[in-house]
Amino acid sequence: MAYAYLFKYIIIGDTGVGKSCLLLQFTDKRFQPVHDLTIGVEFGARMITIDGKQIKLQIWDTAGQESFRSITRSYYRGAAGALLVYDITRRDTFNHLTTWLEDARQHSNSNMVIMLIGNKSDLESRREVKKEEGEAFAREHGLIFMETSAKTASNVEEAFINTAKEIYEKIQEGVFDINNEANGIKIGPQHSATNSSLPGSQGGQQAGGGCC
Amino acid sequence: MNFFRGVMGGQPAGPQHSGVETIQKLCDRVASSTLLEDRRDAVRALKSLSKKYRMEVGSQALEHLIRILQTDRADSEILGYALDTIYNIICSDEEEEQDESEDAAPPLSGKNRNVPEEMQKQDDVGAQFTERFVQDPENITLLLTLLEEFDFHVRWPGVKLLTALLKNQCPQLQGIILVSPMGVSRLMDLLADSREVIRNDGLLLLQQLTKGNAAIQKIVAFENAFERLLDIITEEGTSDGGIVVEDCLLLLLNLLKNNSSNQNFFKEGSYVQRMKPWFEVGDDNAGWSAQKVTNLHYMLQLVRVLVSPVNSPGATASCQKAMFQCGLLQQLCTILMATGVPADILTETINTVSEVIRGSQINQDYFASVNAPSNPPRPAIVVLLMSMVNERQPFVLRCAVLYCFQCFLYKNQKGQGEIVATLLPSTIDANSISAGQLLCGGLFSADSLSNWCAAVALAHALQDNLTQKEQLLRVQLATSLGKPPVSLLQQCTNILSQGDKINRRGSKVQTRVGLLMLLCTWINNCPIAVTHFLHNQENVPFLTAQISENLGEDERLVQGLCALLLGICIYYNDNSLENYTKDKLKQLIEKRIGKENFVEKLGFITKHELYSRAGQKPQPVFPTPEHMLFDHEFTKLVKDLEGVITKAIHKSNEEEKKEEEVKKTLEQHDSIVTQYKELIREQDTQINELKAQVASMSSQSEQMQVTMTQQITQIQQHKDQYNILKLKLGKTGDQSASQGEGAHINGLQSEELSQLREELEDLRRQHAQLQTQLAEKDTLIGSLKSEAASPAEGAPDNTELMKELDTLRAQLHSQAADLTQLQTERQELLRKAETAESGPASVDSGVDKAKVAELEKRLAAQSAETQKLQGEMKNLTGGRAGLESELASATSTAAILQAEKGKLQQEVQESKKEQDDLLMLLADQDQKILSLKHKLKDLGEPIDDEDDLDSKDQSEDDDDEDDEEDDDDEEDDE
Ligand SMILES: Nc1nc2c(ncn2[C@@H]2O[C@H](COP(=O)(O)OP(=O)(O)OP(=O)(O)O)[C@@H](O)[C@H]2O)c(=O)[nH]1
Ligand SMILES: [Mg+2]
Repeated sequence: MAYAYLFKYIIIGDTGVGKSCLLLQFTDKRFQPVHDLTIGVEFGARMITIDGKQIKLQIWDTAGQESFRSITRSYYRGAAGALLVYDITRRDTFNHLTTWLEDARQHSNSNMVIMLIGNKSDLESRREVKKEEGEAFAREHGLIFMETSAKTASNVEEAFINTAKEIYEKIQEGVFDINNEANGIKIGPQHSATNSSLPGSQGGQQAGGGCC
Repeated sequence: MNFFRGVMGGQPAGPQHSGVETIQKLCDRVASSTLLEDRRDAVRALKSLSKKYRMEVGSQALEHLIRILQTDRADSEILGYALDTIYNIICSDEEEEQDESEDAAPPLSGKNRNVPEEMQKQDDVGAQFTERFVQDPENITLLLTLLEEFDFHVRWPGVKLLTALLKNQCPQLQGIILVSPMGVSRLMDLLADSREVIRNDGLLLLQQLTKGNAAIQKIVAFENAFERLLDIITEEGTSDGGIVVEDCLLLLLNLLKNNSSNQNFFKEGSYVQRMKPWFEVGDDNAGWSAQKVTNLHYMLQLVRVLVSPVNSPGATASCQKAMFQCGLLQQLCTILMATGVPADILTETINTVSEVIRGSQINQDYFASVNAPSNPPRPAIVVLLMSMVNERQPFVLRCAVLYCFQCFLYKNQKGQGEIVATLLPSTIDANSISAGQLLCGGLFSADSLSNWCAAVALAHALQDNLTQKEQLLRVQLATSLGKPPVSLLQQCTNILSQGDKINRRGSKVQTRVGLLMLLCTWINNCPIAVTHFLHNQENVPFLTAQISENLGEDERLVQGLCALLLGICIYYNDNSLENYTKDKLKQLIEKRIGKENFVEKLGFITKHELYSRAGQKPQPVFPTPEHMLFDHEFTKLVKDLEGVITKAIHKSNEEEKKEEEVKKTLEQHDSIVTQYKELIREQDTQINELKAQVASMSSQSEQMQVTMTQQITQIQQHKDQYNILKLKLGKTGDQSASQGEGAHINGLQSEELSQLREELEDLRRQHAQLQTQLAEKDTLIGSLKSEAASPAEGAPDNTELMKELDTLRAQLHSQAADLTQLQTERQELLRKAETAESGPASVDSGVDKAKVAELEKRLAAQSAETQKLQGEMKNLTGGRAGLESELASATSTAAILQAEKGKLQQEVQESKKEQDDLLMLLADQDQKILSLKHKLKDLGEPIDDEDDLDSKDQSEDDDDEDDEEDDDDEEDDE
């Protein structure tokens, strides 16, 4: 399928916070109630539309377990966006954010857009981390922030799309070197042919699943 | 320097001895010399000795060399020598005849590939030193850092050394590289090196690195390996390219094989589309170099990796779809039908097409539509089947065609139907060769391999398809002239029953195994076919004879299959043949074979050495034609049946009967259950209907309630106002009385006061009376209200009433205003009266008189006003009553209207029914007219066509009317 841009994302965060579930909800519109520990990394992809342009998202869902940390680090360098996820019902996952952020900042390219995600917002009764705390952390570290639920799909689309919007804006501003694929961005095969004045040029999403 | 020259130039007498000595000296130099140049020369010398004295250099110099790598980082030359030396120590590559002069042009890449693995003992040396080197993971990290050095003298030997280490100690090294920061990513950068040698050796390194390690494979893919490799393949001329293309393909295979995440990435990255041009090889017979054949072979492998039957069904399906959409399948089919394609490429292409279409309806449909460019054009399927039953074709090719045919029919009921149809009497086309003809030809040819392939192919046309199993029973074969035709089923058993006497090239067992698998598949789960089979009196005796005989090793499989066939005859027996009911067959087994014996023979199938092998994957691959005995799908069938048949055999008659009874009761239960289910379903629909009714009613009632509350509040307001008014009117009366009282107090006796009090009492009574009247009115209003609320139709009538009420309310408002004014005045008066009462003595009588006079005057005026107000009030009450009666009459009118409406509806219903009747009549008459016309026509009378037209119009009009009526109905419903 033709696309104007291709963005590479990674999803990071402690084990069990719902990274794989977020990806599954985004690509397949499904929820997986059982925790399937991710081994290493898993790949997923979907097409979205921003500003009337088709954008292909290639997403690497990493393992949160400590033992996979070194493998995970190999994925920072080539990613344009990262979803840093914690679980609002587990404060320790929030406390570990600093470590994650340090790791990400150290190994990634400086322009990588990081979206902080407080997941499992459907479990309001078991909440341990206030929304305001997440917002404050994001503000302090210059991240975008959202609370999501991979279970109810609330804000899941938005989390992925808003990250893409941010990257897209950075491209427009000339911050990203789009010719260096190591930044996790690729221009589509017939980018010049894409009409930027297409109607309905509002950021939106397209029905998911595979392309081709 | 002379020292070194001597070492290198001279031919030492006792090589071992002098070599060790020299090496020791060199090592000392490397370790202790403070001059870089000295160290460099020493390392270079070690390098030159490292091949001849591998063991010695390795054991003495390795540590020193490693130290050089750590400390002499600034000098690329010495690093290069050290790396080369270590490489020579750990790698037993005889070919690697590195020139003494280091500046010589680099050799072609890949020359150290295909190293014959014969030099086992030397490899042991290599393994030993590799282990020593790898022992300290820091060494690997060091090597990785050195690879970042751009200098050719460092990078290239570094790449080669790491590759060699990986070859010797793969898993351990992979582990170290995986955890070293950006280790894999840095190695990926080698593919971007502009120097081809490094890029090409980088490919070899990555091949080793990615072997069997999914985590590394994923990182390499993440680092854009697919893109890069596909680019290189294109740059190098795809299949026409050299060994570099092959290396790229091998690396791609490493990345994709058994790695679903990478396969998904490959598909999602639209890389499947980029494979299509690889197969645009055209018809030219010119260029089929060995390299091209190899390249194409791997390209086909890559396609197969993506659609392998062992992948998850979803993944395979989406790749199959992509391959059709981008034209890859079409391109492969072109190769299939092209001429001059080398046999092994053709074979692999057939296998690839097989897996691209397997289980994918669109792809299977496309494949069925492919024609060979022959004259006349023939379906590709037919052309391929011709090869399958052709003895002169290579064995692997015939296997591939069978696989292709199986994949075409896999989960393809339509395709199965089409193949079977070519055998059915009604659809046989005598002019062209059909698939069915070829299969029959193969089934009964003198070549056992053809027999087997055709039997299995036909079995696949019946797999899980009851319709086709029954259809195939209709197939009749013409035998020799004058004899009646014989059914296909019969012909199969006829050949079987010839046993060892049949005349076949190849293996007779193969023929019989093929036919038995076909028969088992055919009659399995198809009682009609079982009956057909049993109908031939010779079949059961033949089977029992086969099973009971004590035959040789070769025949055991045939015996097992015969037992399976007989078992199916029992298990799927509907007892329609008296001689061969379940019972009778079981008795027969007990008598002729023995239960235990039978079960043992049945077990021969799964115990066969080739059985489990065939169960592993769908593709028929056999080392030799003699191994071709089991079909993959058939092994599944055996797995399903062995247990149930064994159980069925062991079951005694009584058990069977009991089971039968149980079954019957179960069936009864089932029917009862179905009845209940039906009932429940009915009730369910009823409940649903009722629920809908309730819903609409409750919404109606809600609506009514709303109107009612509206009305209630309005009435309440009205009532309140009315009450207030009334109360105030009453009070005004009181007030005037009390004021009079007060006034009198000032000037008159206390007697008069008591009189006045009585009067007051009187007035109070009156007030109470008025209040009871008011209560009555209230109840009246209440009943009125309920009346007004109950009919929903009353609502519109009410609006008028409401309007009137509104005006009334406005009047009330103004009156209330007057009243408040009056009240304040009265308040004032009262206060004055009070002051008058509390201190009458101190009041000056003259002033009093004047005041009293004034008060009296005002009292009179107020009384008059009160009177007037009372009159108005009376009027209002009258108006109110009028309104009430109006409301009542409106309500009754509404009721009447509704009754009328009901009547009208009924009338409409009736007239509709009448109309229906009329229509029926009309239709009847039309019919009559038509039949009369026919009669007239038969009698030779000419008939106006206009009549026909008229009648047509008529009916159309009728239709219109019906429509309108329907519309009316809908409106009524609303
Ligand atoms: N209620 C609720 N449960 C969730 C949500 N997201 C994930 N879960 C559950 O949390 C558990 C962990 O989810 P995963 O997505 O497998 O966690 P992960 O972050 O991928 O974990 P690792 O692969 O070990 O790193 C699962 O049991 C999910 O069902 C959510 O939004 N709401
Ligand atoms: Mg996970």
